[in-house]
This record gives sequence, structure tokens and C-alpha cells, in this order.
Amino acid sequence: MFVTEWNSSALVKAATKAGKKKNALTPMTFSLLHATDFADRLLYNIIPPLKAGMIVLADRYAYTAFARDATRGVDNRWVRELYSFAVRPDLAVYFRVPIEVSTDRLMARRVKLKFYEAGMDMGWSSSPIESFRIFQGRVLEEYDRLVEEFSLDVIDARSSITEQQRAFRKLVTRHLAGAPEEQVEAEPMETTEAR
Amino acid sequence: MTDSTPHENGANAGVRPGHYYGYGIPYLPIDGYPGKIIAIEGTDGVGRSTQIRLLREWLEVQGYGVIETGWTRSTLMQPTIELAKSSNTLNKLTFALLYATDFADRLEKEVIPALKAGFIVLADRYIFTALARAQVRGIDRTWTRNLYGFAIAPHLVFYLKIDERTLIRRVLESRGMNFWESGMDLKLADDIHDSFRAYQRSLLREYNSMADEFGFRLLDAKRKVEAIQEELRRQIGEFLAESDSRPI
Repeated sequence: MFVTEWNSSALVKAATKAGKKKNALTPMTFSLLHATDFADRLLYNIIPPLKAGMIVLADRYAYTAFARDATRGVDNRWVRELYSFAVRPDLAVYFRVPIEVSTDRLMARRVKLKFYEAGMDMGWSSSPIESFRIFQGRVLEEYDRLVEEFSLDVIDARSSITEQQRAFRKLVTRHLAGAPEEQVEAEPMETTEAR
Repeated sequence: MTDSTPHENGANAGVRPGHYYGYGIPYLPIDGYPGKIIAIEGTDGVGRSTQIRLLREWLEVQGYGVIETGWTRSTLMQPTIELAKSSNTLNKLTFALLYATDFADRLEKEVIPALKAGFIVLADRYIFTALARAQVRGIDRTWTRNLYGFAIAPHLVFYLKIDERTLIRRVLESRGMNFWESGMDLKLADDIHDSFRAYQRSLLREYNSMADEFGFRLLDAKRKVEAIQEELRRQIGEFLAESDSRPI
């Protein structure tokens, strides 16, 4: 398409940012804005390279929305139908960590937790760390259900980066070996479980 | 996306007024809320806002609490949608999602609190505009209806029906044709008049096809403002009397 790609991504980002800054997002608008951003990236950044036969590495995909939105109380069937325009990934890998490890790593890296990341909008705790622990703990439980529902491949993210990378490469290699040269057909992402 | 029969959990017929069309918003139960939603639908330039202004006065004089809500008027999304329109960079899918976000924001922050407080919500356009626009742009029907499964079925939907010729004359006499109202993004024609005509014709067809499904009450938009207003007041008055709605 035109050279408008960057502008349009930035547009959705601007709305999300404005909403986040004012803490004005509800679980529904949070969900819908992320779906809008995803649609934008799908159409401009994901589908064109797929059509060209390239490999797209996606840092988070629709599953992130499934897990977070369900935790925020949005109907999970609705979210799955919302994302039915998404291309189903050829390989989806979930890096699993227990909540304690996740919290420790975050604390070690950063001082301040972001409002929505910590699930502060849910009002479960006025302490950001406590809120993060409760919110992300529930998000992780959702992910465990998603692993089943969408047959995600799981990597134990407690291990060292080298070990994780080794496991990851093994999964990707195995997948690419079994995959035909050009796998570009866009399959709508729907599951029978979600219906 | 695949085409299939309408999903039972999307925006569809057979839903009681004041209830969610589909899966709804689980964290916001609305059962038993005393307020009412009255939606005025119709394409661009049929005189919706004039009618709503007059209705509001009439209802307020009788002591009803009234709020108005209108398409793309949410504080969260209005600037973004305006920007999107001016830069013409979004595609049909992201546009549909931005509209839905705007609607969700207004529903949660304006409409639902008003219903809870027993207000009458006058909606200048409702989800039907979104459904018609998405349909004309070739977005999967089932998907759009599921998307709006979080919307609440209005108590009354009035559709200001107009024919293409009258509409064109009116729009030209008032403010002229603009890019979006003419559906220029669809590249139906290079000429704005031809595009406007083709686009509005498709929209009118969509509205008409929804009339039965969603129980629109049709009003002839060619009639005089006062005549339409009188008819609106008569029907709304009857409805409020039957539903035992009292001023608050």
C-alpha cells in the first residue's frame, strides 16, 4: 500500500497512549483499542511479508489479548470472535514463568510499574506491586487455559536464556523442516472451542 | 474471514429492549435499569439532530432526565477518529474497530450510567450506522454483528427514511458533499456526486434491509420538520405511558 503505513500505526498508538495516560480506558475500550492496533499491524506489517513468503516473528500475538481481556472481565467468547480476522500463527510459543519469577525479574529491572500492566484499573489493590501480583497471576492462569485451547508450545522460561534459546530454535527448526517452502495461505483464526 | 449465518450472540433480532444484544459486558450487569434508549437513525443530512433537539426540549419540559449521545462523540476517540478521517490512512477494518471503540466508550461512560439513573438516552445514530457502513465496505456481516454484541438493544429505533434524489438535493443545498459522506474511500467513482449517489444508495439499501430485523419505526424524512416531530412525540408518548416511565 501507500507510504501511509507509519502514520496509521502511530494514529492508533496515539489514542491508546492518550487513554492510558489519563487512565481513561475501560476493559472494553482497552480491548478494542488493542484489537484496532493489532488489525493495523496485521494488515500493514504481517500479511505483506507473509505473502512474500517471509517469516514473521511476532512478539506477543492475539493470545495476549485473550489472556488480559478475560482477566479484566471481558467475555472471552466475544474476544475470540473479535480476533477472528487474525491469521492463525504457524507456530505459537508460550514462555511460561511462575508469578514470583515474573515479579522478581520486573522488580530487578525497573522501579515503576505501569498502571495498566499492573492491572491497577481493576482496583484490586492500591499497591502497584500487589496489584501486579494479583493481576498477572490471573493472566498466567488464563495463559495456561490458552495453552490447551490453542495447542501452544511451551518453553520453561525459568531456565537460562541460552537454554531457552536452544529449546526455541529446536521448535522452530522442527517446524520449518516439516513446513512446505511457501506457507502463505491466510487461515482465519477460529477454534471450535471458542464457538 | 468466512461468511456464515448470523450468529446468535451478535447484534440481532429477538433481543428484548434494554438488554445486551450478544455476550454483553459481563462486568456491567444492566438488568432492571429503569432508563430508556431512543435511537434516531438515518443517513447523513436527513435532519436527525434537529429532531433530537426538539425531542429533548419536549421531554425535559415534562420532567424527564435526558442525555444525548452521538456518533464519534466520545472524549476518548473523537480526536483520533477526526485525525483518521483527515489523513485517510486507515483501512476499513481499523475504521470499523475505531467506531466500535468510540461506541463502547460512550456506552460505558454515558449510556449505562444514564440508564441506571432512569434517564432517557437520545441516541443520534446507533449501531445501525456502523453495521450499514461496514456492510457497504464488504466487512463480514457476522463479524460486525458479533463485534456489537456488547451493545444494548434500544427501546425504540426511529429510522428517518429518505430517497436518494431528495437526499442529494438537501445535502447540496445545505453544506455540500464531503469525502466521507460520499464514500470516496471506496473508489466507486472519481466524481464526488457520482460517488455520493452510489455510496448513499448502498447505505440506504442496508438500512432498509435492517428495518424488519431490528424493528425500525419508519418515518418519512421528506415531511416537514414539525410533522415528523409530532409523529415522534406521539409514538414516544405512547411508549412512555405504556412502559409506565415517569419523570424523575
